[in-house]
Parts: sequence; structure tokens; C-alpha cells
Amino acid sequence: MRRLDPWLLLSALAIAACSYLAQGSTAKALATPGFANRQIVWLAVGGVVMLLFAFTDYRVLARLSPFLYVASLGVLVSLFVIAPARAGTHRWLLFGSFTVQPSDFARIATMLAVAALAGEHRKERLDLKTVARLAGMVGVPAALVLLQPDLGTAVTFGPILLTALWLGGLPWRAWVGLVVAAAVVVGCAWFWVLRPYQQERILTFVDPDRAPFSSGYQQRQSKIAVGSGETAGKGLQSGTQSQLRFLPAQYTDFIFAVWAEETGFIGSALLLAAYALMVYRAFVIALSARDRVGAVFAGCASAVLAVQILVNVGMVTGVAPTTGITLPLLSYGGSSVLATSIALGILQSIWRLRYANV
Amino acid sequence: MTFVRDDLRPVQRRLATLLVAAALGFGLLAVRLWVLQIVQGPRWRTAAENNRLRRLPLEAPRGTVTDVHGEVILDNRPTYQLLLFPEEMKDRARTAAFLTSLGIASADEIDARLAKACRTSHLPSVIADNLTWPQVATIAAHRAEYRELDVHPATRRSLPNGAAVAHLVGQLGEVSPEQLAADPALRSGELVGRSGIERAYQDVLGGTPGNLVVVVDAFGRQVSALAEEPPVPGHPLRTTIDLDLQKEAAAAMTGLVGAVVALDPRDGAVRVLLSQPAFDPELFAGHLEPAKWRELISDPLDPLHDRALQALYPPGSTIKPLFAAGALRDGIRTPSDSVYCTGAVNIYGHPYRCWQKGGHGRVDLDEAIEVSCDSFFYHLAHDAGIDHLAAWARAFGLGSPTGIEIGGESSGLVPDEAWSRKARGQPWYGGETISVGIGQGPILVTPIQLAVAYSALVNGGLLVQPHLVEGQGRPPRPIGFPPAVLAEVQRAMELVVAGPRGTARRLAALPVRIAGKTGTSQVIHKQDGVTWQQLPWNERHHALFVGYAPVGNPELVVAVVVEHGGDAASVAAPIAGRILERAFGPPSGPAAVTASKAAPDEPATRVAAAPPLPRPAEGTDKPPRPTR
Repeated sequence: MRRLDPWLLLSALAIAACSYLAQGSTAKALATPGFANRQIVWLAVGGVVMLLFAFTDYRVLARLSPFLYVASLGVLVSLFVIAPARAGTHRWLLFGSFTVQPSDFARIATMLAVAALAGEHRKERLDLKTVARLAGMVGVPAALVLLQPDLGTAVTFGPILLTALWLGGLPWRAWVGLVVAAAVVVGCAWFWVLRPYQQERILTFVDPDRAPFSSGYQQRQSKIAVGSGETAGKGLQSGTQSQLRFLPAQYTDFIFAVWAEETGFIGSALLLAAYALMVYRAFVIALSARDRVGAVFAGCASAVLAVQILVNVGMVTGVAPTTGITLPLLSYGGSSVLATSIALGILQSIWRLRYANV
Repeated sequence: MTFVRDDLRPVQRRLATLLVAAALGFGLLAVRLWVLQIVQGPRWRTAAENNRLRRLPLEAPRGTVTDVHGEVILDNRPTYQLLLFPEEMKDRARTAAFLTSLGIASADEIDARLAKACRTSHLPSVIADNLTWPQVATIAAHRAEYRELDVHPATRRSLPNGAAVAHLVGQLGEVSPEQLAADPALRSGELVGRSGIERAYQDVLGGTPGNLVVVVDAFGRQVSALAEEPPVPGHPLRTTIDLDLQKEAAAAMTGLVGAVVALDPRDGAVRVLLSQPAFDPELFAGHLEPAKWRELISDPLDPLHDRALQALYPPGSTIKPLFAAGALRDGIRTPSDSVYCTGAVNIYGHPYRCWQKGGHGRVDLDEAIEVSCDSFFYHLAHDAGIDHLAAWARAFGLGSPTGIEIGGESSGLVPDEAWSRKARGQPWYGGETISVGIGQGPILVTPIQLAVAYSALVNGGLLVQPHLVEGQGRPPRPIGFPPAVLAEVQRAMELVVAGPRGTARRLAALPVRIAGKTGTSQVIHKQDGVTWQQLPWNERHHALFVGYAPVGNPELVVAVVVEHGGDAASVAAPIAGRILERAFGPPSGPAAVTASKAAPDEPATRVAAAPPLPRPAEGTDKPPRPTR
């Protein structure tokens, strides 16, 4: 245990504690007391899983990554075949009363595969073939997730590819090409992949008055919740926006608003600081990794964490569109908590083995 | 270095860049949180409060209205309102079907009310009031199925005497947008007086509504009550009305069309103010069904019209005492001047007929009023000229509103040469002066103007401002008629009842000494050999009578107008008699002036006070023409 990073551990514990308190408020508001209890179970299970991965050699996982990656693709494909559509999407696998969202785990497998590929690549600059392999490696699962359709999770695959390319030293001409390609992809996605409700969300972000009672309504209620918390908040389980159910999706996407309303700027700034510490330590781990595999995995994991946090909190505070990205550890959901725990465990493993000679 | 390690320095350089980018992102979010929660915090707090708090207006009970003896004219009674919370309504058709099955209103009407309630968004709307007990119980039993409905206690105007005070009390209605703009204390949807006492004394009767602040959740459900600001009820109002007399008047006028106004001639306090036909004022105390409204406004007898203040009638012979007083004062006649009535007078080459076919023989001024001789007044009018007649009429208050607190009065019309040129664009004809002399032609008065004019005749020459609340009228103003002149005219009016040939001599049988003057104003030309009972209703003459009592020291002037009543003596005079008898007669006896007491020499005596009332077939009155 001594060899683990105490700061990363501490930040995770602090966020887990906030999660339990915020989920308690939401459970009271929605009169579903089971949610907070189940979240604490998931967080506990996540802690165990994290330790499990922390004491596993990440290089073994990297070697196994082709199998893990192919297996996760298989599960993603099978979702369209065997999983019954829930709420019009193929996001979940059902195990009795549990639902598992495989896309969260596919992201970890993708990061491992990307890191393993980077470990084999020893040149100063990326070659075209490697860039294409990386793009395909990230693009295929991201496309499968987008087709479920789950825009929020699909977006979280983006930072993996970008980080890998950036760390690999992609020349600036290639970045220009990438931007053009991205524009083409986004353009095509807009017309052929995005559902009307997703298009509407993005348009609503650009122009909030478009739909004051749908996405615009949600974001407005969220801003009211956060802002009305003022300095010290309204007290736990006393937020009017959450308790009177003005806040939408408050135990998942908008959980940060519950926390911000009830604990004010003091609480939300402390929580943001905990997240900043977590991301900072992840980057420190990446910087101190003993090899390229560890550095690239930790870099990707840091970037994904940072993007999730920045986009979610940005959405809650009205500076980013409502994409449906969850907030790591704070949002309700076993798959999300476990996937974050695995990533944190692998990060600890990289930290633990940073001086290892073998 | 003996280990084979990757050269990670380029990767670490790039990682450092990413770390700086992430730090920048976190920094920006921290600033964003600071702006939202600290800088804009109070603004968002207000928004959150507006989200969760709803103000429900609490109606203030309006003040009660009593008569001069403290009898209740207008009160409140508890009632149950049905409130609709539009945000809760999932299926409008289902709600409408439920309300229809309760018998609250017709299906169309309910649809219309629900549609209106939905347009006014999140605030609860009153869908129905005056719910019956079975309705309240049924709604309570289905509370869980129809969460959008709620029964709310409220008060509603109650009028124990209903139609007898309909026009007097007036109507309530939702405050208009203009009123809202003018008076910030008023609230949208509040009921305010639209007419009658309710409007004139809105400031006294209307209370200040209260508020109930409730906490609602995102679905508009009330979670709890946060604060209550109780309503301040309106003040009670004591009027000068004598409810006993008002009811007596209403009973006497049952089935008739017209108006009764009774004043205390000494100060102008209004004792009776009645217009017939009336409406059920309770119809206006809550939701008025459009069907009922259409019925009311399409009724050819126009029950919403306040005839006491607004209807215009030719005064007929009731104008004669005013002109007699004027002629005496200005020296155009002396009490002993007389005229020989042959039944017709030839002036300007045109025969003007007296109502008495065979003529009255020689009559002096007192007798001319007693028998209502037209010939005498044709000559008087000719000698005086229209300018004198108009000046006298105006001196008694005709031609301008009396100034009673209830607005919307008609001015009436006192014609003269200037009026003729301006309004008609033609010169005044001498013949018209002759007609005006007997209260026909273009001259028009309202019933309340008649009562005010007669008050001046009997109170020593003071023009009073009629008023409904003690102390509201301006002080009586002398109109410049010497007491001797007025005493002479009063003597003549006493003869109308007490004299052997008086036109209202049937009232002499009453236990109270009454004086007054009859008036039968013509609607169409008189036809020979046709009694008024044979004419269609709308071609009959208007029957007028203005009486007062006690003789010598009058305390009450009663003006009665019965539209198309046919005959003043047998229709209008007994109504005034009943009211005066009620006021001054023996307390126990039920007032009844019946035809049996009538004098034998008039053909119309068989008819009691309430002849059958046919509805007019078409159109309105034709302009009255001179004769009688």
C-alpha cells in the first residue's frame, strides 16, 4: 500500500464521499432511497477493483490488450443483436437486476490497446501507418457506441486518439489534415449519424432560446441550481431545485448541480479541487512512468478524466452543450464507477512500478 | 545507465503541455463557478424562489350593504369554488367529461373554460363557483384521479331580495385591463363593481386581497404553505334605501315595465330606486353562462337597462305643475287667470285637442292641474314661449344628470331654439312649443329627474342631489321660486287627489293624504273610439304619476313610470299610492289600492295595477305626438 500514490487515493476517496452525500440528496428528492445505498456499494466495489488493478502489473494488461480489445468490440457488436432496446437505445446488458454499460469498459480496453501499440512504436515521429492504426483502433468502438446511440460516451473516446497522436509527435501539417478530416466527419455525422434530438441539443446550446422547455429548460434549471447555492449553499438535502425536482437527470448528468446548490461555492470549489488533484496526479504518474506504455496509458486516462470533468461541469454551469457525459465517481451508475476505478487502479500500478527494472 | 529504457523526454514534454491545458480548463471552470455562485448568486436565488413559490390570491370579502334601517340588502355567503391547476391536467377531454358529468355546465361551456384556463398557464383558475354539496363530495371522492382539480372555499355575493335590488346594487365583473393599468392595487382577475352601488362604492366595499404563498414542485403540485397574508375585507355600507319600500315597489311593479324612484325631498336621500323588468343579480355573482347572457341581452324588454336613471320618457302632464309654477313666478299667469276649454284649441291654424273630448269648461290654474286640462297649458305655453318653458324646466333640474353616485345617467332633453338648430339643423316651430307645454314633443326626462323636480316643488324650492349614502349629496340649492308660488301649485296637486274632478281621486280613499300629478304621455296618435285596452301593448301610452306625502310636510316623493301602462290614473297612481301607504299608513295593513276604490266616471277603472304584459312585436316606441 505504501507504494501507491496517496494523493490519487485521497482525491478518489473525497469524491466518493461527496458522491454519497449528493446521491443521498437526490434519493430523497426522487423518493428512491435505494439509489444512494447502491451507489455506496458500487463505490466500495470500485475501491476493491482499484486495488486489484493497482497490484496487477499494467504491462501484463498491455500484453493482453489485443484480446481484451477484441472481446470488448465483440460485446459492443453483440449489444445490437442480443440486447433489448431500452428507451430506444442499445446501451445496456442485463444481468438479472443489474444493467451493465459495456461502452465504459470498452474505453479502458481501447486505452490499453492504444498504449500497447505506442509501446511498440519507437520512432521519434509517428508514421502514417501507425496513425491509421490508431484512428481505426479508437474509431471502431467509438462508432459502435455512437450508433447505440450514445453521443456522450462516444465523445469520451475522442481524447484517447487525440492524446495518442499528440504524445506520438504528430507533425503540424498532419494536425491541419486532422482538423479538416474532423470537420468532414462532423459534417457527415451531423447529417447521417446524429438523431434530431442530438442536433437539437447542440443547436440549443448555441441558441438557448430555441427550446426553452427542453434542453434549454434543463440547462436553465441547472444554472439556477448552481447559482442559487451562492457562497455556502442551501444545506444538504435542502436544495429547492433538486428537492422540488426542477433539476433534470439529477442523479446522473446533473449531479454536480445538486452538490453545488446544497454546498455553495465552498463545496463546489472543494469538489472541483479534488478533481483537479486527481487529474494532476494522473499527469504526474504519466510523467513518471517507466516506459512508453505506461506514459501513454496514463496520458490517455488523464485526458479522458479531464474531458469528462470539464465537459460535465461545463454543461452543468452552462458553458458546454448537454452531451450526456457523466461525472466520474459522482454520477450514479455501477459501470461508470467501476470503469473509473479500473483506470485509477491501472494508474496506481504505473506509479507503483515506475522504478521497476524488469 | 545499465537499463534499457525508452527515451521518454519528448513524450514528457508533450504531457506537460497537456497538463497546462487541463489546468487552464479547471481554472476557467473555477472562474465560471465563482461568477455563477458569488457574482450572480443573488439573481439565481431569486430565480430559484420564483420557481418554487406560487402566490395564490385570497379573495377579500366585499363589504355588506344595508338599508336605512340596517336591513341587509347585499351580503356574502360562503361558497365553494372549483380551481383548476392547468399544469396538472394530463387529458383535457377526460377532465371535461368528468366536469360535464357533475352537471357544472354544458359540455361546450366547460371546454371553453378549460381552454381559457390553459391559456393563463401556471396559475390556478376558477373553473366554477357556487358548487353544490353533491358536487363538492364527488370531486373530493375522485381527488386522486383528478389531481388538477381542487375545491377552494370562497365567498360570493348573496342578495336576499334578489331582483328587487338588481339595478340598484349593480353587477360585479372581472377588473378590466384599463382599470388594472390605472390602479396598481387591483389584481388581475379580481372582481370589482361594474355598475350600481357596487361600482359607485367600490373603494368602500372592495377589500384588499390577501396572498397565500405556497411551495410547489416542478410539476406545480403544492408541497406546503409558506406564508399567509390574510385578506382585508371591505367596509360595510349603510345606504338611505328603505328596503321595505323598495320591496313594496317591486311587488307593485311585478309584470310591468318601467321605473320607480322615491326620494326624501328635504335632502335628496334615495329611498327607492327600481327598474323593471329586472334580472336575477345572482347570475352575475359568479360565472355567467353565455346562454343566460345571450338570453338577457336579446330580451326585447332589455332587463339590463336601468330605466330609473337611463330611460327617457316624455313627461306628459307631469310637467304641468312645473310650468304652472314658472308662469306664476314670471307673471305670465295669476292664480285667477282662467281659460274656457271646449275640448280643442286652435293655435297657428292647427287644432290642439284636450284629452277631454267635450272640454273642461272654464278652468283656472288650480283646476287646470286638478283635471289636467291641456287647453289651459296650450295657451300658457303659447304665451310664455319655448325659452321660458326651457328655463323653468332647467331650473327644476331637467336636462342635466341629477348627480346620483351611480353613474351612467341620461341627461334628458329640454329643447329650445338653439338645440333645434344645432341638433336637428332646422328652426324651432311654434307648434312644438304648444306640445312641450303639455310634456309632449321633444322634451324627455328620466324617472329620477321627475322625482328631483317634484322634490323642489314641495320642499320650498330647493334642488337636491339624490344620493344613496347619507351625507353624499351636495347641499340643496335654491332655484329661485317664491314659497307662495310653490304653495299655490301644491294646493293644485292636492286637488288632483282630493278634488272632486281630480285625475287621481281614487287615491283619496287611502288612509294617507297624498298629493301629486298624473301624466299619460302619448306614444302614437290618439284614435277616436278606441280604449287603451284595445291597443297593442307597445302602442299604449306611458303611464306616469309623481306623488308625495304627507301633504303639508312632505317626507317622500315617489315618481312612477309604467311604459305603455296605458292610463296614469288606474296604473301608475295606485303604485305610488301603495308605496306611500306603506311608508305612512297604518303599520299592519298590507298595502293595496284596488280598482274597486276607483271613481265611476272613467272607463278604465276595471283594470287593476297589473295588466297582462304582451311582449312588443317589433321595434320601439314611435315618437310621441302632441295631444292630451
